[in-house]
Amino acid sequence: MTSLKVFIIARLLLLIPTILLLVSLVFFIMRVMPGDPVIAIVGMKAPPERVLELKKALGLIDEAGNPIPLPIQYFNYLASLFQGDLGRSLIWGKRPVLVEIMEHLPATIELAISGFLVSIILGVFLGAIGGWRGGKANSAVKIYSAVTYALFIPWVGMLFQLIFAVWLKVLPVGGRITPGLEPPTITGLYLLDSLLTSRWDSFASALKHIILPSITLGLVISGVFSRVTRTSVEEVMHQDFVVAARARGIPEHKLIIHVLRNAFIPIMTMMGLQLALLMTGAILTETTFSWPGMGTFLFERIEYRDYTTVQGTVVFFAIIVSVVNMLVDVLYAYIDPRIRY
Amino acid sequence: MYTFRPILVKLVPRARLSTLGLVGVGLVVFTIFLAIFAPLLTPYDPTKSVGPSFQPPCWEHPLGTNKIGQDMWSRIVYGARTMLLVVLISTVVSILIGVPLGLISGYIGGLLDRVLSMVMDAIYAFPSLILAIAIAAAMGPGIINTAIAIAIVYVPTYFRMVRGQTLSIKEQLYVEAARAIGTGHLSILTKYIFPNVISIIAVVFTLSVADVVLTEAALSFFGLSVPAPTPDWGFDLRAGHPYLLSGYWWLVTFPGLMIMILAVGFTFIGESAAEYLQSREVRI
Amino acid sequence: MEELLGINGLKTYYFTRDGVIRAVDNVSFMMNKGEILGLVGESGSGKSSLGLSIIRLVPSPGRIVGGKIFFQGVDLLKLPEKELRRIRGRRIGMIFQDPLTSLDPLRRIGDQMVETISVHMSIEKRDAKEMALRALERVGITADRFDDYPHQLSGGMRQRVMIAMATILNPDLLIADEPTTALDVIVQSRIMDLLADLKKNMGMAILLITHDLALVIERSDRVAVMYAGELCEISPSEKVSQDPLHPYTQLLLESIPDIERPRKELRYISGSPPDMRNPPSGCRFWPRCPKALDVCRKISPRQLELDGRLVRCHLYNGGR
Repeated sequence: MTSLKVFIIARLLLLIPTILLLVSLVFFIMRVMPGDPVIAIVGMKAPPERVLELKKALGLIDEAGNPIPLPIQYFNYLASLFQGDLGRSLIWGKRPVLVEIMEHLPATIELAISGFLVSIILGVFLGAIGGWRGGKANSAVKIYSAVTYALFIPWVGMLFQLIFAVWLKVLPVGGRITPGLEPPTITGLYLLDSLLTSRWDSFASALKHIILPSITLGLVISGVFSRVTRTSVEEVMHQDFVVAARARGIPEHKLIIHVLRNAFIPIMTMMGLQLALLMTGAILTETTFSWPGMGTFLFERIEYRDYTTVQGTVVFFAIIVSVVNMLVDVLYAYIDPRIRY
Repeated sequence: MYTFRPILVKLVPRARLSTLGLVGVGLVVFTIFLAIFAPLLTPYDPTKSVGPSFQPPCWEHPLGTNKIGQDMWSRIVYGARTMLLVVLISTVVSILIGVPLGLISGYIGGLLDRVLSMVMDAIYAFPSLILAIAIAAAMGPGIINTAIAIAIVYVPTYFRMVRGQTLSIKEQLYVEAARAIGTGHLSILTKYIFPNVISIIAVVFTLSVADVVLTEAALSFFGLSVPAPTPDWGFDLRAGHPYLLSGYWWLVTFPGLMIMILAVGFTFIGESAAEYLQSREVRI
Repeated sequence: MEELLGINGLKTYYFTRDGVIRAVDNVSFMMNKGEILGLVGESGSGKSSLGLSIIRLVPSPGRIVGGKIFFQGVDLLKLPEKELRRIRGRRIGMIFQDPLTSLDPLRRIGDQMVETISVHMSIEKRDAKEMALRALERVGITADRFDDYPHQLSGGMRQRVMIAMATILNPDLLIADEPTTALDVIVQSRIMDLLADLKKNMGMAILLITHDLALVIERSDRVAVMYAGELCEISPSEKVSQDPLHPYTQLLLESIPDIERPRKELRYISGSPPDMRNPPSGCRFWPRCPKALDVCRKISPRQLELDGRLVRCHLYNGGR
C-alpha cells in the first residue's frame, strides 16, 4: 500500500472525530449557553400552547410534554444528523433545513468561485510583481496585503454600490439577475447555465450582477494571496538556480516564468486553506448585495430567530469545512511526498 | 537563566518601528483618543434624536444625521467606546482562558493535553465568524455577551501559541536543571516558563486584534452585538445601507471608514512587529 | 601570453543594515588566455564576491562600487545589460558550488541546456539538442540522461551537467566557484580532471575559486591568495609551495596536513577572520600575523612586483 493511500485512510479516520467534535460544539453552544431561546423567540407573554409547541420543535420536551434530559437530547441530535436530518425550520412550515440549504447553495458557490478567481488573479499578479521587482514595488505590495486584509467587506461593497450603482448608475445595486431572465436550471450557476443554453440576455444580466460582489470579495481575499505569492517569489528569486541561469545569459522574461513555476507550490497550498475566509467573506458579501445565497439565508433566519435552521446551517458549514480541509490535506500530500510521513 | 531583562527586551524592543508600524500606532491612538474624549468632542447624546432626519454633513452636524435624527459624528466617537470596549474585554477573556490552559496543557502533557488540543483545534478550524455568530445568537445581545462570544473564538489561538512555547521551554536544559535541584512545578511555571510566554502573548495579540475588530463589526452588522440605541459602527453601517439608493452616502461612509481605520491600524502594527521579529532571527 | 582578463582596483561592497561590508577592496590582477588561476581564501575573504563581480551578478545588498574589469579589451562594468547578457554564458561561463540548487528542480536537464543554447544562437531545436547531447557526452554523461530531472542524478553528475551547460558555447573564461567543495574526494579528482581536459581541448581559461590551497597548488598554473577582501599574493604554483612570500600564505601552507611529514598536532592559524564591517586598520592581516611590524598596523601595504610575482606586504617594501 503506497504511502499516499495510508495517508488518505489516516486522514479519513481523523475526519470522523473532528466532525463529531465540531457538531457537538454546536450542540453545546445552542443548548448550554445562557439565555432561554424560547423566550427570545416568542417573548414573555406567549400563550402556553405556543411555548409547548416550540419546546417540542426544539427537542427540549417529548410528545407527552416531559422534559428530555440533556444527554438524551444530545443523542437524538446526533442520531438525526447521522440520518442526514439537519432539523426543520421553525417558521417556514417545518421545511427541512437541508432542503432549504440546497436551494440557496448554488448562488453562494457561484459567488465564491467568482470571488476566488478575482482574488487569485489580482493577488498572484501583484504578489509576483512585488516579489520580482523588490524595493518599492515590494513595499507597495506589502502595504496592499495589509490593507486589503483589514477591509470590512460590507463597507467596501457599499462604497462600490455608491459609486457604480448610485452615482454612475452603470451597474445594478444588488440581486443576482433581473427577474424574469433566469436561465433554465442545469447546474444552478446562472452564468454557466445561460452559456450552456445560449441565453445571452440571461448571461449579460447575470454578469452585470456578479461583477461588483465578486470584485468586493476578490479584493479582500487577494491580500492573502498577494502576501504568499510575494514571499514565495522572493524566496525563489534568491535561490542559486536563478543566479546560475543569469550566469548563462538567460534573459529576465524567460527567468520569470521559471521562477513562478517554482514559486507556485506554496501558493497552491495556500489556496486550499482559504475556504474559511472565502465562506466568511461570501456571507458578508451576500448580505451587502442582497445576493440570494447561504449568507443572506443565514442572516434572514437569525433575524427571524429561526434557531433550528441557524443551528442546522452552522452544522452544515462545520461539516463542509472539515471535509474540504481533509481534501486539501490529501491534495497537499499528493503534491509533496514529504508530507506523507 | 531567564531573568527579567530578557523579558523587557522582548516586550519593548528597542524598536525601530518601521514607518508602517508608526502609521498603525497613529491610527489606533487616534481611535482611542476619540473614545476617551468623546464627551468633549461632541455636544450631542448619540442615542437621542437631536436634529432633522437625513441631514447631509453641515455645520451643526459635521457628519450628518441618520433616519432617527441622531448625529453621526457623536455616534462615531461614542461608537469608538463600544468597539474598543468589546475588543478589550474579549482580548482579556481570551487571554485569561487561553493562556493558563495553554500553560497547563503544555506543561502537564499526557491525556489532558491531547484532549484539550483536540478541542482547541476543532474550535480553531471553524471559520471564526460563523462560530461567533452561533455563539452570539445563542447568548443574545449586549457588550459583555458579544465580547465573550468573540473571546471564545480566539481562545484557541492563544492556547496554541502558549502551549507551543511552554513545550519548547520545558525541554530546555536549565529547566531540567531546576527540576533536578527540586524546584516545585508551580515555581517552574511562574519563574521560568511564564516570563517567556509573555512576549508570545503580545505577538498573538498584535496579530489577531485586527481580526477581533472585524468580527465585532460583522456581528453588529448582523444585529447580534449590542442593542439598538448603543452607538456601534457595524450597526450604523447596516442601518444606513437601505438608504444608499437615495444617495444618503454619509450614513455608511463614516462608520465603515472608522472600522477600516482601526483594523488597518492594528494590522500595520502587527505587520511591523512580525517584520521586526523576523529580522532579529536572520543573521547574515 | 595574451591578456584575457584585467581587473583594476575592483571594489565590491555590501550595504547591510548593520554596516558596510567591504567584501572586495581594491583588488587588481590579470589572467592570461588559457591559464588556470586558483583563487584561494577563507570563507568571507571575498573570493566568491570577486567571481560574481566579474559578470556583475553580485546579489543585493551588494554592489560594485569601483574599479574596471577588462575582458578581451572591453570594460565589463561599463557595458549595458543587454550586451553583458550576450557575454554571460557565451564568452564567460560560471559554475557554482552546489549543483543541486544551481539547476531548476522542476525542469529536465536537457531542456535547460537547450534553452541556454537557443538564447545565444538562433538554430533549430533539433540542432540545439544535438549540441547539448554532444556537450553532455564530452563531460561523460550518456544520452539516456537527457530527459532526467536534476534530483535523479548523483552529485558528481550534476556538477558535470553544470560544467557542460557553462562550457557548451566554448567560452574563453570559466569562473568555477568552489566546484568541488560539495563533492567527495574521488569525485573531486574526476571533476578536476574534466576541467583540465576542457582547458586543453578548448583553450579555456579557468578562474578556480576555492578554500583548498592544496588543490590549487596541484591543479593551477598560478595561485592568488585573498584575505579579508584584499589580494595578498599571486605566484606561480610551484613557487608558492617552495617559497611563499606572504605570511598568510606561509601559514596556510603549514596548516595543510601532509601525509609525508606527519605531525603530532594540526597546525592552524590563530585568531579568526576580521569583522568585515570594521576591518583592522593598515594591513588587514596584522592581528594574526606572526611577522607583523609596527608599520603594518598603520599603513595598508601596496601591491609590489617581485620577479613576475605580486605581493602585498610590508616585509618586501625594503624599509619604506
